[in-house]
Amino acid sequence: MYGVRASIPVFFLTLTAFGGANCVFADAPRVTAVLSNSEAAVGQTVQLQIKVTGDRAAQAPENIVIDGLEINRTGTEQHFEMNNFNVSSSVIYNYTILPLKSGTFKIPPQTVRIRSSSLRTPELTLNVADSPGRSSSSRSNRNLQPGDADKLVFAELIVPKKIAFVGETMPVEIRLGFDPRAHPKLVDGPEITGQGFTAQKLQQSQENLETLNGRSYDVVTFKTAVAAARAGKFEIGPVKAKAQVSLPRTPSTSRSRSRSPFDLFNLDDPFSDPFFADPFGQSERREIDVESEPATFEVKPLAANAPPSFSGAVGNFTMTTDAEPKNVQAGDPITVTSTISGRGNFDRVNAPVFEDERGWHKYPPSAKFKQDDDVGISGAKTFETVISPNEKKQALPLLAFSYFDPLKEKYVTLRSDAIPISVQGGAPIPPNAVASQPAATAPATVGAKPSPKPQDILYQLTERPPRAQSFTPLFACPIFWIAQLIPLAALLGFAGWKIRQAKIDNREARRIGALHQESTDLLRRLRRGEVSPQEYFSDASRAVRVKTALAKNVDPNAVDAEMAAATFRLDESSRAQLRRLFERSDELRYSGRPNGTGTISPENRREVLELIENLRV
Amino acid sequence: MKQLIVALCCMMVCTFVVSPAFPQSDAEFAKANANYAAGHFQEAVNGYETLVRSGEWSANLFYNLGNAYFRVGDFGHAILNYERALALDRHHPEADANLRIVRDEARALEMQSSWPERYFQFGSLSQYSVVAAVAFWLGMFCVFRLIFGRRRSAAIIALSILSFSTFVIAAFAIYKLENGNNGRALAIVTGTGVEARFATADSANSVLALPPGSEIKILSTRGDWIYAALPNNLRGWLPAKSAELVRL
Repeated sequence: MYGVRASIPVFFLTLTAFGGANCVFADAPRVTAVLSNSEAAVGQTVQLQIKVTGDRAAQAPENIVIDGLEINRTGTEQHFEMNNFNVSSSVIYNYTILPLKSGTFKIPPQTVRIRSSSLRTPELTLNVADSPGRSSSSRSNRNLQPGDADKLVFAELIVPKKIAFVGETMPVEIRLGFDPRAHPKLVDGPEITGQGFTAQKLQQSQENLETLNGRSYDVVTFKTAVAAARAGKFEIGPVKAKAQVSLPRTPSTSRSRSRSPFDLFNLDDPFSDPFFADPFGQSERREIDVESEPATFEVKPLAANAPPSFSGAVGNFTMTTDAEPKNVQAGDPITVTSTISGRGNFDRVNAPVFEDERGWHKYPPSAKFKQDDDVGISGAKTFETVISPNEKKQALPLLAFSYFDPLKEKYVTLRSDAIPISVQGGAPIPPNAVASQPAATAPATVGAKPSPKPQDILYQLTERPPRAQSFTPLFACPIFWIAQLIPLAALLGFAGWKIRQAKIDNREARRIGALHQESTDLLRRLRRGEVSPQEYFSDASRAVRVKTALAKNVDPNAVDAEMAAATFRLDESSRAQLRRLFERSDELRYSGRPNGTGTISPENRREVLELIENLRV
Repeated sequence: MKQLIVALCCMMVCTFVVSPAFPQSDAEFAKANANYAAGHFQEAVNGYETLVRSGEWSANLFYNLGNAYFRVGDFGHAILNYERALALDRHHPEADANLRIVRDEARALEMQSSWPERYFQFGSLSQYSVVAAVAFWLGMFCVFRLIFGRRRSAAIIALSILSFSTFVIAAFAIYKLENGNNGRALAIVTGTGVEARFATADSANSVLALPPGSEIKILSTRGDWIYAALPNNLRGWLPAKSAELVRL
């Protein structure tokens, strides 16, 4: 018990030390910077986050000045995370970016000071497009007509690009604005209508309060991505949704209508209705349709002469590759991990292809996608391909990945670096064959080793067993369990036989015991000599019979003088004496009276006793 | 008692007599063999499959069917039928040899057996069943002998312990072989381009790409999807139609 008590503080000390060690040896401070959206339109705000992990004493820049962008720091968040006693903290500095003009803006690396050192954020790119469609749609919805319930809500469809390529994934934003005083509730949608393009599932990204034309709206933003399936001019939208709002039941024309305190600009706000001045008055919930203006854009076809490794990926990507293990035997598997990162249509991003597969066996790759944004345009797709060398190799074959870059409007092929490996065993590589060279650069005949003819399978068999075979294991067959009845019956029979034998043995033992008892009683009476001659000789002959029966395991009544003499192998005198004893006993039993005196002499009694006591096998 | 023994004997005799023999299917088997010999492999496949569907199973039938599938380039079904031949006859040398060749050709992935499975594989399920039954009854007879005997012989005690130990080991072997990676849930991937996924959706992330002929262990079935243990010790979902159980 004492040991247990002593071990508890030790355990907690160990735990604390372990946790403390984890804290002490936490990762070094690092900094990242992300944009909530790298595509935006003029006037559309984008969030910038600079995240410092590992040290809370970081100092991020207060102001970031870039011509054409209005960047303001909006706040700081601190996060703590504990995972398996590993405590990590991070500080997030939030900025709001308001694009003032269109174009591609580079946000240069920002210096974050951490105690005596400093870290730099990566450079970020923000593409800002003109958004006439957006302005027209938003304006058209915001120029709300007096008395129309739709003025309580508006919908915007924001497509940042007006020109795209077939298969190019474009981020699309849907903004639904509701007047908060109408207690709105979105009951259906939104959904984008249109044909000729594929759209991903809508993701609600944020909800905030905005003031438009002097009126406050709760603006819910949904994000998705669309990709055109063919070239041509496309119209996307309108966006349709249904919402429930509270409205005054019947506006009375006769009643004088005072201006709502929210209606600062005399926009014929329906909330100027007296109903809103009296919240306990009558109102009704009404379902209204919300619809945006459609947006148009042009889709251009991809350039001809696509490289062989092009699988339909459109966007901007980078590729990294690695392989493990690097020292193998011929035939052993090597896992080649290639990661395609960037922005684009990741659903069309396939595994990079090996440019020269000779001497290798390739298995189908597996893929895993990790998206960095809400709609899956940005992220990293990791492929794991298992290949095994059939012969000696010095390097992995090159991997190639091609995509169409919509900015450059041409195909780009990424190639991996040659990864050196060591393959033991197998046939040596031909001197001219260089595994790391792509097939396109090496003559097809140089070093081309004829692949060994695959081993052929064995011949057909014509015999069949006499009966059909079964996949059912023996223990699951009924016959197996039926067969168990045989040993069971045998076991039960064995047990019954043993029990019967025991009973029989018991009866015999009791009979023998009774005979022993009778023999003892008879000898005792004979020694006392207090009985009549008739009884004495009867007892004496009975004692001989019992002793003989015990010796020969027979019935005492079946014993006569000759049998007793033979059993105990008596000499002639004893035999004659035994005969006389039996004759005397019979005589006394059957005649009723003795021949001679009525008593037995002591000598005679002693002789009889000696005779009986000397009867031994 | 005599009536019971007679009834048991009759049942056993009937069971063996009623076991399906091959009445007139020998001609179909010979025809399929002839098609194979003539190079009409697809016709041979059809002929063998007809016999399989009729339930007239034999190791040689599955072996020949595996060969025919190999000739038409369907490595997944070839491996499946070699496995079935070996499931019916563990010591089928031709099926064993061809299975190695086709596995090498198809680069099929194999399930890793646990160490008890590896050690117990020297015997078949039927052999272990017989050993378990014999050991059990011998042990029971020894126990009865000890109960009813006048003397408790050390030899009888030792024999009973040995018998029951053998029974327990044989029963454990049956359990491991039946429920292990190569047990009754063993299935072979017969489709091409099959990928095990994290969820029951074609768009779910891939766990492992399974070449045709790869072994899996089916854990459960949900609609058109099966949840299976994979050769890389992970688990994943794959379409039910893309794999078939070895044991019919």
